[in-house]
Amino acid sequence: MSAAGERSERSARRGKPEAVILFWVANQMLAIAAESVQEIRSTDGLAGAANEIEQEVVPKVRHILEWGRRTCYVVNAGAHFDLPVTRPTLVLILRRMRIAVLVDRIDRMTEIPAVYPLPQAFAGDERRWYRGLAYIDDSVIPVVEPSGFLASEEFAALDRAIKPGSPQREMEGAAQP
Amino acid sequence: MIAGDNSSKSSFVLLRIGAHRFALPAALVAELAPPVRLHEFPHTSNSVLGVIIRRRRILPVYDAGSLLLGREGGAQQFYLVARCAGEKKELSAIPVSGECEMATGQVQPADDDHPAYVAGRLVIGEESVDVLDLEALIASTPARGAESIRAEAQA
Repeated sequence: MSAAGERSERSARRGKPEAVILFWVANQMLAIAAESVQEIRSTDGLAGAANEIEQEVVPKVRHILEWGRRTCYVVNAGAHFDLPVTRPTLVLILRRMRIAVLVDRIDRMTEIPAVYPLPQAFAGDERRWYRGLAYIDDSVIPVVEPSGFLASEEFAALDRAIKPGSPQREMEGAAQP
Repeated sequence: MIAGDNSSKSSFVLLRIGAHRFALPAALVAELAPPVRLHEFPHTSNSVLGVIIRRRRILPVYDAGSLLLGREGGAQQFYLVARCAGEKKELSAIPVSGECEMATGQVQPADDDHPAYVAGRLVIGEESVDVLDLEALIASTPARGAESIRAEAQA
């Protein structure tokens, strides 16, 4: 079992409540631990901070974001989860990671009693994508694993792509899908 | 579910998927669940439709209709909850019609060219029904990465 899986199973066993942010991407509601999110910004407010990068290796990343002293890769959550194309309006800047995530809208912040392990039947990429599942208002909502947005090899490929001298240009409308 | 002659030690649940009948060892079957809500979310496991909630548990739902019959699986309204044999031993659900019954009978070896998910043939009177190996059925379609799904969709 992965570290994320063990963590979620422990959490579910203890029934430890956890604050999460519920957000929408296309027609799908997802949850992310509130403590994983440093800031939520409108994409309109990122002008000047987001730059387009030209690379084909990780298609879900088309921009970098200079934020504080960090350079974050901006992951389009719709592309990451293979959901229908939308026009995201918000960006979640993740805490202690070089990742920002484009999402459509925030639903609300709430507390969940537990994160239940993903059934073993799910054996594909979703085991990296999710920490587990939450049961909220009669719905089962996946709880995303923040580090699952970009694998280490994807980071390495992106780092190579933006090395000094690589073409970058400031981008208006960084949220274009 | 209709209780039939189950005096023998080997009893099976007969279920209908599409126009076909299959048998599952009764020892693996937990319940026939009513048509509860199927919860769906993004994933790349081909054979899984989503999850249902039963008795405070989150159970994966396998698309047995497509796995067994291709797209002719048709609309199923109920869920048969069974424990997968083998390594996983996870309670799982498969959509079925409401027509399930108990049966006992002799299990004969499957035909030489049988698919891996057929564990044998249950002979009931003059009828012969394939006995499903749920674990093998599920294993017959490995999970794919999102990249390969996208590439296939674009082809």
